[in-house]
Amino acid sequence: MKKLGVIGVGKMGLSHLAIANQTVGIEVAAICDTSKTLLHFLEKNTKFRAFSDYKKMIDDVELDGVMVNVPNTFHFEIAKYCLEKGINVFVEKPFTLTYKESQELVELAKSKNLKGQVGYVNRFNPIFQRVKKLLDEKVLGEIGSYINRMVGGVIIAESSKGWRNDYSKGGGCLFDYGPHCFDLSTYFFGTDVQIVSSVLKKVFSTMVDDIVSAMLLHDDKIVGYNYINWSDNSVRKASNTIEIFGSKGKIIANKQELSIYMNEADVSNNLQKGWNQFYITDENTDVNYYLRGEDFSRQLEEFSQLLNGTISESRSSLYSASITDKILEETFKLSGGVQ
Amino acid sequence: MDKIIFGDNQFFGVNHMSEQTSIKQSQKFKSADEIFKTLEYVNDIGIKSFMFTTHDQLEPVLERIKNDSRFKDFKLIPCMPYAHKYANAMVELGIFEAINKFTPGNKLMAGLKGVGSLITSDPVPIMELLVDSEMKLLKGMNVEAIFLQNIVTDLLIGLGLTNVLYEFSRYTEKKYGVKAGFFTMNHVKLHNILVNDLGIVNPMICSDINKIGFRMNPSQMDVESVLEKHDSFNIAMSILASGAIKPSEAVEYVSSLNGVDSILFGASSPAHILETKELIEAAFSH
Repeated sequence: MKKLGVIGVGKMGLSHLAIANQTVGIEVAAICDTSKTLLHFLEKNTKFRAFSDYKKMIDDVELDGVMVNVPNTFHFEIAKYCLEKGINVFVEKPFTLTYKESQELVELAKSKNLKGQVGYVNRFNPIFQRVKKLLDEKVLGEIGSYINRMVGGVIIAESSKGWRNDYSKGGGCLFDYGPHCFDLSTYFFGTDVQIVSSVLKKVFSTMVDDIVSAMLLHDDKIVGYNYINWSDNSVRKASNTIEIFGSKGKIIANKQELSIYMNEADVSNNLQKGWNQFYITDENTDVNYYLRGEDFSRQLEEFSQLLNGTISESRSSLYSASITDKILEETFKLSGGVQ
Repeated sequence: MDKIIFGDNQFFGVNHMSEQTSIKQSQKFKSADEIFKTLEYVNDIGIKSFMFTTHDQLEPVLERIKNDSRFKDFKLIPCMPYAHKYANAMVELGIFEAINKFTPGNKLMAGLKGVGSLITSDPVPIMELLVDSEMKLLKGMNVEAIFLQNIVTDLLIGLGLTNVLYEFSRYTEKKYGVKAGFFTMNHVKLHNILVNDLGIVNPMICSDINKIGFRMNPSQMDVESVLEKHDSFNIAMSILASGAIKPSEAVEYVSSLNGVDSILFGASSPAHILETKELIEAAFSH
């Protein structure tokens, strides 16, 4: 049983805490938060040892791993401290705020032989995992291009207030939605990537972008259009849809549905010529504990496997997350600023 | 509790399998009038139980049911808190900010602020406050049971705050004279807590139960063997797994299990509602 410390238990951190507490192979030994009311509540009602200072938590409790679920600006500082103390880390997305910092953490973990994972939960979605497998097995033949679209309704009215309208606080569609979208692109098409073009546009925000249009080139051969829009009022919740074009057919996928068009039948994969339709209900979605979707449970199961040494690298590694930070940074730079 | 309970997912565009279906459904049920018409039909054909999340959009619908004598024997089963209203607020704002947001000017909360963390560290009065705030919507109506949403049930299980489940159960009986029920995505874990740890007799549990085992955690086999014990009142939901299973096969499966007491289902069109009702009645009459 590996001992885990959870830093940041408000907001998503509370869900992560509940999931971690039910994950096989992990025992939550301590929690840490700066909110005194919340901490006092959890200290009084749960079995977790509570701390308001993460350094004190690390000094007082022997930990195998920590989860860092704090505001993005503190990811680097806390993850670095934990790695230096010899503790494996799970960091919420995005990894850090700059490629340089992320690279530093990748190197630090490597030099100390520590394990790391970043909270890119889409990589644990059963449909996206099926797509990844189909691509790895070259079922679509050679991939030439893709369109990766992430839309949602976060900023749906004229707004000049709040952290979302401030780049220095992690605001803007690029830095809020962008990580999920670009990470999905590198999951499917690899981390050897360059940014070909980038445009950032405002719709309602005054200081930041609401729409991102970025063209990515992977391995010098797969070109991908990444369209990210957080000002689409027509969608109930954020959704990622990817369309992938290969020499043998194409795929359209989101978290619930997978459509595969085959130019010819593929008997070994049980795919008929023309359209083939799959749903999330066709996948195995069993988890030991369910709170906010199997994807969240499975990402913690993977971190448990990392800590327990049954796998050596996460499918959402520190390295792949550092490349996502690189894409974000370069997309911003290449755009020349918000229009 | 009736064998057949009508649900509300279709009114709010909830479909686990397809975003397109969700969009179509939310287009169909844009107004309270359209929701009421469907419930009128449901009532007419003899489905007398309606289970719903305490969604703001339902307020005018409930008002009409209350003032319509045709709904005299129509039973309401609220599920609270409305997941997106509270639970997401809890995730986004944190527990205490969320409570403050939804109980503005409340005397107890105002008092709590003064006393500070001494009382806010106890989840029970907060839970009672939220139940009362949700039940205002149903004052004077025919409420048969009060259910806790799965996001909350499962969060409490996850954190080990299971005494709140016990207190919730106690409070609904004491204050409203009705049994508590629990939605969950973790049937086996919850059953063990309610029956074995908390000693609640025949607790009501509503969870996904379907032929393909979709969202039956930790596995279909484990859920089936707990159902077999039949020491809880089990309500099957998602029997069609959002449309992945044919209605006839779906009903055949749940009726073949020993421990399923009621079925919660939702459908948009009168034809589908009637078809499912008749299938369930036929299957359970054997």
